Amino acid sequence: MSFNARITMPAEARAGEIVEIKVLTRHPMDRGGQSDGKGGTVPRKILNRLTVTYAGEPVFRFDMHTGVSANPFVSFTTKAVATGDLLFEWREDGGATFTRTARLTVT
Amino acid sequence: MSSAISPRSGRRDQGPDRRCLVTGAAVGLVAAALPRLAAAEVAPDLAELVARVTEGAAPERGRITLDIPPLVENGNSVDTRIRVESPMTEADHVRWIHLIAEKNPFPDMARFILSPRAGRAEVATTLRLAQSQKVAAVAALSDGRFVMADANVVVTLSACIDGG
Repeated sequence: MSFNARITMPAEARAGEIVEIKVLTRHPMDRGGQSDGKGGTVPRKILNRLTVTYAGEPVFRFDMHTGVSANPFVSFTTKAVATGDLLFEWREDGGATFTRTARLTVT
Repeated sequence: MSSAISPRSGRRDQGPDRRCLVTGAAVGLVAAALPRLAAAEVAPDLAELVARVTEGAAPERGRITLDIPPLVENGNSVDTRIRVESPMTEADHVRWIHLIAEKNPFPDMARFILSPRAGRAEVATTLRLAQSQKVAAVAALSDGRFVMADANVVVTLSACIDGG
C-alpha cells in the first residue's frame, strides 16, 4: 500500500486571513471492475473520505466516490483563527485510515 | 463501508455488476432481462439526479460557477473548480457542494462539506469522466435553498477503459 500525501499551504498567516490548502494524495483509487490480468477483476478500493480538523474543530470534509480520479487532488480554504495543527484524516474502503498533520502559525 | 451521499449512490455501490465495463459490455443483456429497470439505470436524467440530492427542491441558477474544461483529452483526471458567491457567515453560508456526472456509472462523484470557517466557498478537485456528458455542481445553502451550474464536457479518452 503506497499512500502518500503532499499538503501545500502557507506556514503562517495573519489572524482572519483566508488560506488555501491544497492536498495531493497518491492512491490508485481502484474503482472496481478492471481486469487484474488473471481473468478476475480488481475490487473497489478508494479513499472514500477526507476529514480536516483545525485546532480540534472540523473545518472541511470531502466525500469521494469512484468519480474522483486516481491520485486525487483537492483544494479548499479556511480562515486562520489560531495557531494550531491541521489534522488530515483519510478513510479507505475496508476501514484503513491515514493521518497527516500540518501546522499553521497565526501571527 | 462507503459513505452514501444519496440514495442512488448508496444502492449502486453495493452491486459488483455495476461497473464501468459492464455498462458498456452487458447493457444488451441487462436490458433484455429487465427492460424497464435498465432503461432507467442506463440513461438517468440529470434533472432526476439533481432532484435526488436536493430532495426534490428545484435549484436556482446563478451564484455558482463550475470551472471545467469543455474539451478533455483524458477522462481519467479532469481539473474542476467550483466557486459559490457567498459571504460564508454563520447566517449565510454554503453547506455542501455536490458533483454529478449524468453518464458516469456512478453519477455521484464527490461532495465537499463546508462550514463558515472556510471563509470562501471555493473548492477544486480532479474527476473521472466516463464519456462526453453534462457535469453538474449543486450547492446547498444554509437557508435551505440550492443553486446549481452545469457544463458540457467532451471527453476524448474515456476513463472507463482498463487501467483507468
